[in-house]
Amino acid sequence: MSDTLKAGDQPKGAYLFRLYLAGGAPNSVRAFANLYAICQKHFPGSHRIEVIDVLKEPIRALEQAILVTPTMIKVSPLPEQFIIGDLSEEEEVLRALGLPQKEK
Amino acid sequence: MTEKKCTELMEKISSGIEGFDDITCGGLPRGRTTLLMGGPGSGKTVLALQMLVGASRHHGTPGIFVAFEENARRVSANGKTFGWNMCALEKEQIHFIDACLRPDVVKAGAFDLTGLLAGLEAKAVEMGAKLIVFDAIDVLLTLLNDPAAECRELYRLHEWLVHQKLTGVITMKIEEGQVAVSPRYGFMPFMADCTVLLSQRVADRVAVRAMRVLKYRGSPHVLNEVPFVIGSAGVEVGSSSGVHPEPQPFNEKVSTGIERLDAMLCGGIYRGTNVLITGSSGAGKSSLAGAFIEAACLRNERALFISFDENSRDIVRDLATMSIDLGPHLESGHLRMEALRTEAGSSEEHFTRIKRLIEEQLPRCVAIDPLSALAQVGGGLAARGVAERLIYLCRNKGITVLFTSLLEGIDPHLETTTLHVSTISDSWIQISFALLGGERNRALSIIKSRGSMHSNQLRELIFSDSGITLADPYTAGGEVLMGTLRMEKESAVHMDLGNGK
Repeated sequence: MSDTLKAGDQPKGAYLFRLYLAGGAPNSVRAFANLYAICQKHFPGSHRIEVIDVLKEPIRALEQAILVTPTMIKVSPLPEQFIIGDLSEEEEVLRALGLPQKEK
Repeated sequence: MTEKKCTELMEKISSGIEGFDDITCGGLPRGRTTLLMGGPGSGKTVLALQMLVGASRHHGTPGIFVAFEENARRVSANGKTFGWNMCALEKEQIHFIDACLRPDVVKAGAFDLTGLLAGLEAKAVEMGAKLIVFDAIDVLLTLLNDPAAECRELYRLHEWLVHQKLTGVITMKIEEGQVAVSPRYGFMPFMADCTVLLSQRVADRVAVRAMRVLKYRGSPHVLNEVPFVIGSAGVEVGSSSGVHPEPQPFNEKVSTGIERLDAMLCGGIYRGTNVLITGSSGAGKSSLAGAFIEAACLRNERALFISFDENSRDIVRDLATMSIDLGPHLESGHLRMEALRTEAGSSEEHFTRIKRLIEEQLPRCVAIDPLSALAQVGGGLAARGVAERLIYLCRNKGITVLFTSLLEGIDPHLETTTLHVSTISDSWIQISFALLGGERNRALSIIKSRGSMHSNQLRELIFSDSGITLADPYTAGGEVLMGTLRMEKESAVHMDLGNGK
């Protein structure tokens, strides 16, 4: 099964992220680190990250139409949002999540 | 190059498409990658899907179709229009994977194909897939939008295919009219073991499809461009290089339907050969075709009458005025008449249609009236190839075929045909108009009849309500008499006989 990582309580309107990774591939490791940092910064105490290793659960990934790794899905709140890449472009991630971006 | 020698060089799997197997000397390279390149609408997806269907049908080999561009359900639905039983195939044999990224997906950093390949690997093992199609890989490359990453991912894909021992078919869009991929993806054809270029161009306002094997590592292949069509049963490749066993020639002669013409030909034409009838407009070529077909039906042989740009019913009506009654044979099913529209397709498409008609009707005698209609559409060179293949097709099936050809041009006496088929025709009968004594009369002569004695006389061809026949030859002053002059001579001879001279 997937490793479920809980961070704090889950108040109403909590963020649920599902992250599809490919084992210990460098971009996968970076993606997790980046997502973790973003969550700590923007949703402290109101988020959950589900990690799915496509190497361990390939069929599940295929059924979910995961083409590339890493792929992150914001499951809730709706609407779902797909973000691909190692999430190193923080501004893109924040914009996709509808959060105010860093001041330039 | 014999097939045996080809297979010794490299293990191949049949594509399930006869003509494609011909030009690649056996099909796709097993356990390797084949690249299909072509412009939009050049038939890449259909060809790739047909290979999967073929592998499943002919060898029971399961396969996977990864659709990067089109919705997988739509690809499958398209397959149904070619009469492929996609529902049954999808249950066990062919797995479709929708690999279109959602339009709202956001890109935020580096990624690779590991996810997809891991999934495919598991799926391939699960269903025992041997063949895998990646349709429109260019869409995926566009997504990466970085030359280094594109190259890296393609090599990842290639390595993965090699490692999995899967036979891969990758399709890729190229600019219309180009013969190669853009320099950015220039490494693609080198990476692939077999590269096929599909093209579509317009000749004489008619779209013509063609394919060419650019390279095939470790295997001989046909270098020439070959035509293909996407017909009602999918892709059909018009290869003329197929190694077919030479048919055993017949010694039996077949009647042309005109007794006196048979006599001129020493009993008719050999079964399994062809006879070409040329003449200008109104010379009576179609009537000769009708007589030939009626004779076949009266021998209880199945027959096929293909006409271009003339309704079958009109032909039947016109022939009836010469006591050639095709009606009963049409009803009994011995005869099938099919009227094709010249403008409706390229010569290659007409070839496919005629081939199908022959397969359905299984005729022993075929008339094609006029074959020269093919030359009007889609380029003369292509039409000539089609005409030749049509002749070989009939010859290989032992079908006796009569085709007519219109002679046009400034010089009506120029004995050449638009398709240059006269050189490969076995017998050649020419109908011309003789202008003599203030009349226009039809004159028939046999230009050639291979392997058979034939008359060298010029004879008057007579159409009447009792049938078609040739008049007795009468000559005067070294000229063949025709029409009124002949009749005068005839009655003079009769009178002489009556007077006991």
